[in-house]
Amino acid sequence: MVMMIWRQFVMEWKLYSRDRMAMFWTFAFPVAMLLGFGVIFRGGGGPKLSIVYVEPAAPSPRDAALLKAMDEVQLKVMPLAPAEAEARWGRGETAAEVLADGEGYRLRLNSYLMAQGGAAAGLVNQAWLMAQARLNGAPEPKRIPVSVESPGGRKASNYAAFLLPGLLGLNLMSIGLFSVGMVNVSYREKGKFRRLAVTPLPKWIFLLGQVLQRLTISLAQALVLMTVGWLAFGIQNQGSYLDLLVVMVFGTACFMSFGFALSSFAETSESYAAIANLLFFPLMLLSGVYFTLDSAPRWLQHAVTALPLSPFLTTLRAVFNDGSGLAGHGLALAIVGAWALGAFLLAVRRFRWA
Amino acid sequence: MSELALRIHGLRKAFPKVVAVAGVDLEVARGEVFGLLGPNGAGKTTTLEMIEGLTVPDAGEIEILGQSWKRDGQQIRARIGVQLQSTSLFNKITVREALDLYGTYYPKARSTAELLDLVQLNDKAEAYHITLSGGQQQRLALALALVNDPELVFLDEPTTGLDPQARRGLWDVVRRMKAEGRTVLLTTHYMDEAEALCDRLAIMDHGQVIASGTPASLIAQLAIPSVVELTFDGAAPDPAAFSARLGETVEHRSDLWEIPTRDPKGLLPRILEIAEAAGVPYQQIHIRRATLEDVFLHQTGRSLRD
Ligand SMILES: Nc1ncnc2c1ncn2[C@@H]1O[C@H](COP(=O)(O)OP(=O)(O)OP(=O)(O)O)[C@@H](O)[C@H]1O
Ligand SMILES: [Mg+2]
Repeated sequence: MVMMIWRQFVMEWKLYSRDRMAMFWTFAFPVAMLLGFGVIFRGGGGPKLSIVYVEPAAPSPRDAALLKAMDEVQLKVMPLAPAEAEARWGRGETAAEVLADGEGYRLRLNSYLMAQGGAAAGLVNQAWLMAQARLNGAPEPKRIPVSVESPGGRKASNYAAFLLPGLLGLNLMSIGLFSVGMVNVSYREKGKFRRLAVTPLPKWIFLLGQVLQRLTISLAQALVLMTVGWLAFGIQNQGSYLDLLVVMVFGTACFMSFGFALSSFAETSESYAAIANLLFFPLMLLSGVYFTLDSAPRWLQHAVTALPLSPFLTTLRAVFNDGSGLAGHGLALAIVGAWALGAFLLAVRRFRWA
Repeated sequence: MSELALRIHGLRKAFPKVVAVAGVDLEVARGEVFGLLGPNGAGKTTTLEMIEGLTVPDAGEIEILGQSWKRDGQQIRARIGVQLQSTSLFNKITVREALDLYGTYYPKARSTAELLDLVQLNDKAEAYHITLSGGQQQRLALALALVNDPELVFLDEPTTGLDPQARRGLWDVVRRMKAEGRTVLLTTHYMDEAEALCDRLAIMDHGQVIASGTPASLIAQLAIPSVVELTFDGAAPDPAAFSARLGETVEHRSDLWEIPTRDPKGLLPRILEIAEAAGVPYQQIHIRRATLEDVFLHQTGRSLRD
């Protein structure tokens, strides 16, 4: 029986490695994401806030003082001539712009981009207070110092370090939903399982063989991604590699089984794609792959911790970014494990060859 | 061990728009080669797939090698070999890998080298399944059906798509299976094949068995041992007038007329005479014995290979 599982596993690997395109994407996609976002947001915890500054016809000392203060509060200032600024506003690309208005200034915020614009406006106001104080000869205003650290306090890390575990998780989910679930639905649709159905091969061995093969892919993928992260951004695993392995195995088992279970609910590839996307995008957006969920309602923040991706990412980040042990993350791992087991049992029960 | 390899009773299967199998009874003895014939859509594949455990019947009993699907599914699967009407494997599996892999699914497996020899795929052993020709895929499917040294083998149109040589090769394989004491249940559209291979036959139409027996008994039952054939160069003309003058039924096929008769000797001079008088532009005239094909056409009222 172990032999059967082994053969199934080896065969899956062979079939997989012969599909060059699929293999390329499995590895290239997360690396491209990491490099792309990592470079774009190289500076720190995300993009700098920007403000459009409408250039006055004749700059005054007051304008110079404001510009200097805006630079000091880390705003990215984009000076534009009035006509240009108006055109940019018209195209809807401007979140906030500041323009001279009589004795003072006026802030114009784009109603669609209030989160960005509002934060920028706050900084402009702060800069303006500083500029006024200086113009009036008041003593130099004091500011509260800001420090950037990771939650575990290990190391001030960059955005790429936050992103990397997110991508690992995202990829597990996409292998599970698409490379496992989708592939099996299309195999069933094309009748490729019918020949297996007349052999005594137990379904669970077939499923387990696939899970094990996908597990090795996902580990290989993690290795590639971590190497690229290290070479390009100096990100390193802060925790123990054994803990990391444990977390990855839990996550893979969970998402692979999820794909299987889901594949038994769809008759055709099209309907499967619809179901899978319906799950994939909300889970991706709500589970903190790219950004944290701070602005979501509290109930939603609680709800996603019961879904598999969010606890997986929390644990993975704790180990990878902050070098934490697994002791404090028993509940999160238990949630992931419960999803894995539940999904696998459901898959074995429901999976049909034809 | 004279017992039956297969006993089915009252087997039924309805799909949303058609009743594919409408109450089929069959008994196949151990060591027998049994043929299932019938026009397209007669229900042969559906019947086989219910017996193989692929399709759940709506009603009926299946006893297979003394066991039943309900209780002994896994054991039955280990004892039977199946060649589906079309076998779809993973595209990029090689012939050798497929045979090796399927071998591991069974408690006992025949060696891959032996199977490759048997179906003459040695030079394609390392080729991907998707790159095989239709006939080669068919032969691989046959080898897969034999991988577990099965007691009972199901072959659904095993020679469709094979060249004449490969077809004879398959006949040899089937005969060897019989010699080894295996039971074979096959479907075919070739009457010569059925006559050459099968100990007994059942002819199906519209989901029912309409005739069964040995090839010889089926031909004998037809009670018209001979057929006179007039062949034409091109399309055969309408035989109505000729038939009326002759006083015998004349069957109109695309490029020939067939006149079934018990007394070819007595009929032949009259045919020649009337044909001469009416100026029938025939090319040749033959007398032949009735074959299984005549039985089939008579029973189903249709030409087979349409
Ligand atoms: N899955 C299905 N869904 C609906 N109808 C089906 C299905 N499978 C078979 N049928 C119908 O059942 C009838 C019997 O089909 P079956 O495949 O058993 O015929 P067959 O005798 O094997 O024909 P052939 O000689 O063409 O292989 C046909 O009318 C077919 O259209
Ligand atoms: Mg058929």
